[in-house]
Amino acid sequence: MSVPLARRQLLFRKSRALAGLAGIAAALLLVLALKAIFAGMEGRLTAYIDRSGADVIVAQRGVDTMHMTQSALPARTAWAIASLPGVAEAKPILYVPAMVEHGAERGVVYLIGDDSGGAPLPLATGRRPGSGEILLDRVVAQRLGAEPGTTVRLLGTSFRVSGEVSGLTLITNSFAFVRRQDLARLLRSRDVVSYILVRARPGISAGKLAARIDTSVPGVTASTRQAFARSERRVVGDMTTDIVRAMILVGLVIGVAVAGLVSYSATLSQLRDYAVLLALGLRAHRALTIAVAQVGATVAAGFLLALALVWALAAILPSLTPTLVLTIRAADVAQALGLAAGVALVAAAFPVLRVAGVDPASVFRR
Amino acid sequence: MRAITPSSGGSVPVARRQLAAEPAKLIVTLVAVAAAVALVLLLSGLRRGMGEQVTLYIDHQAPVLVGQRGAHDFLSQTSVLPEALTGEIARVPGVAEATPISQQYAMLQLHGRRVLTLLIGYTPGKPGGPWRLTSGTAPRASGELVLDRVLASEHGLRIGSTVEYRGARLRVVGLSSGTSGFMTPLAFTTRTTANALSRQPGMVNFFLVRPQLGVPPATVAARINRSVMGVSALRRTEVAANDRRLFIDPFSGPLLAMVAIAFAVAILVIGLAVYSSTAERSREYATLKALGLRQRALLRLVGAQAVGLALTGTALGIALAFGAAGSISAFAPKYLIAIGTGSVVAVAVSALVMALIAALVPARLLARLDPASAFRR
Repeated sequence: MSVPLARRQLLFRKSRALAGLAGIAAALLLVLALKAIFAGMEGRLTAYIDRSGADVIVAQRGVDTMHMTQSALPARTAWAIASLPGVAEAKPILYVPAMVEHGAERGVVYLIGDDSGGAPLPLATGRRPGSGEILLDRVVAQRLGAEPGTTVRLLGTSFRVSGEVSGLTLITNSFAFVRRQDLARLLRSRDVVSYILVRARPGISAGKLAARIDTSVPGVTASTRQAFARSERRVVGDMTTDIVRAMILVGLVIGVAVAGLVSYSATLSQLRDYAVLLALGLRAHRALTIAVAQVGATVAAGFLLALALVWALAAILPSLTPTLVLTIRAADVAQALGLAAGVALVAAAFPVLRVAGVDPASVFRR
Repeated sequence: MRAITPSSGGSVPVARRQLAAEPAKLIVTLVAVAAAVALVLLLSGLRRGMGEQVTLYIDHQAPVLVGQRGAHDFLSQTSVLPEALTGEIARVPGVAEATPISQQYAMLQLHGRRVLTLLIGYTPGKPGGPWRLTSGTAPRASGELVLDRVLASEHGLRIGSTVEYRGARLRVVGLSSGTSGFMTPLAFTTRTTANALSRQPGMVNFFLVRPQLGVPPATVAARINRSVMGVSALRRTEVAANDRRLFIDPFSGPLLAMVAIAFAVAILVIGLAVYSSTAERSREYATLKALGLRQRALLRLVGAQAVGLALTGTALGIALAFGAAGSISAFAPKYLIAIGTGSVVAVAVSALVMALIAALVPARLLARLDPASAFRR
């Protein structure tokens, strides 16, 4: 018959075990939530590109992103690309950050001047914008109180909301669509476009077409949609690396401190038990295993709780703040698991040192 | 620390002795509280620093900004105006000088990493350029660039280095200091270069307007709005407030959530430490109760331990936060951690609240403690 010593000792003071679990979960949640927020930002960042229908995106030479980026090409570039073999369509767009206003409400959007009015993005409601009209993302439209049919201000000019699309709003901004000629007039921009969205004919790969455009058209950089989206995601990654690293360090320190404190105080209160067990013949390495198992179990439970909490946040937050999307990636979970293992390893040192110093004879004193 | 005074006259610092009985546990507790407090201060300092860095450029410019009609901020929206408006704005009564500038975000690729900068195009010899050069010269010819010195040193760029951007090769001719904006360090070039990169010759993004001596900026802005068609003139302070709101507010929610988690962790750690020490000594407390020590005195004992841990941990946390902020400014100067006195006071007050909350659970344990249990076994 065996006695589950580690479990019994761990659960002897349930509130202490729960508090420890909560503390470790909070520390891991810090890391998991932050990574999920950035992953969500990355996903939304490429929502327009992913759904643009383009196989290749052509920009000014050296440019392979859209977020916080500027690109300017002569309008004639679109004709040059359209005439290349393998090109089914070369659609020029203008792209600028702008502020949409409705009454006292304001929202920052990436404004796209597009002759197709945002096609092939599916409409959530209304219709594609005509001249003097604008297509908004549903979240922005709701935030501004600008349903289809209302008039908003854009770069000092009035536009009528023609309809809504969905899923394009980021934490800081969104996308909106107007006719290219309207935007060109507002920007006083003649014969200049920002990007050219290229569709390939059947039978030619996007990679091959991008290479063909790069070699045939001067002053441009052509990227496949996938490569372009990868670059966009790297923007967020590159800009947030330091913050994520700092948060992981903080999570590690807090996790180690909480797990160490819980396991150390638990071990202290059980020192006499350990002395009895050792006096009864329990080997030292078994005693250490029990102590380590308690830390491991607490950290594992804390990790699972943190995972459950971040999943709950990912499910609840978007309905409360539609701009905040949390995406949980397997790689991030694996990283948090690694962090938890690190926490357990360091925290286990506290009880191990204490248990290793227990004298079995101490149980007969007093 | 609260002392218990026996009837014979001498006093025993029970709270302090109990805390000091296990130095390793005391150290771990204090480190955990200090880490949580430092995290709270660093996060709030980062938010404040972000606010200061976001408006770094316009804080150093003329008191009035003129943009395209509908422009409310400097960083988040497009503003395009014809250069020909320079004279018209300069002729408005009360205007001493109107200077056109170009402005654009520039995503540079340095060492395979994407680095966002705010590229300012200005007219050499006019306002709008770098306010402090640490080495080299201001840009004069086409294709010349001044970079923030922190950015340059991070990527091994020096005077004479070249940077590729939008198909052009820009040559670094100077390094500026005090120009590390939030996530976007500043870079400066001539307006001709900036306009050529954007294919916008003859265009301006903003005008920097200096009022004549004694004319309030608000008056000048109002006059420009009345006299010049198609523009929005705003005081620099208004534009800065709008920029801060647009850039900082979206990050406030996640930052506040993290501050809340750190605060909860600190409460938890103090609570754990005091609770476990109370639980371990329940026999001693029962003896004290049996000897006649009042319930209130026992609660004070627990409260004193919690307050002692909270205040000492907080003091260490504050020191740690200032130390970390100093290290960050030395090793990663692009991040400004501006820890305000208000935050320090708020954290100190919060520490007392933390202590009181953390003392609640052990207080319940003591309240239920049976004095007779001291004589059992």
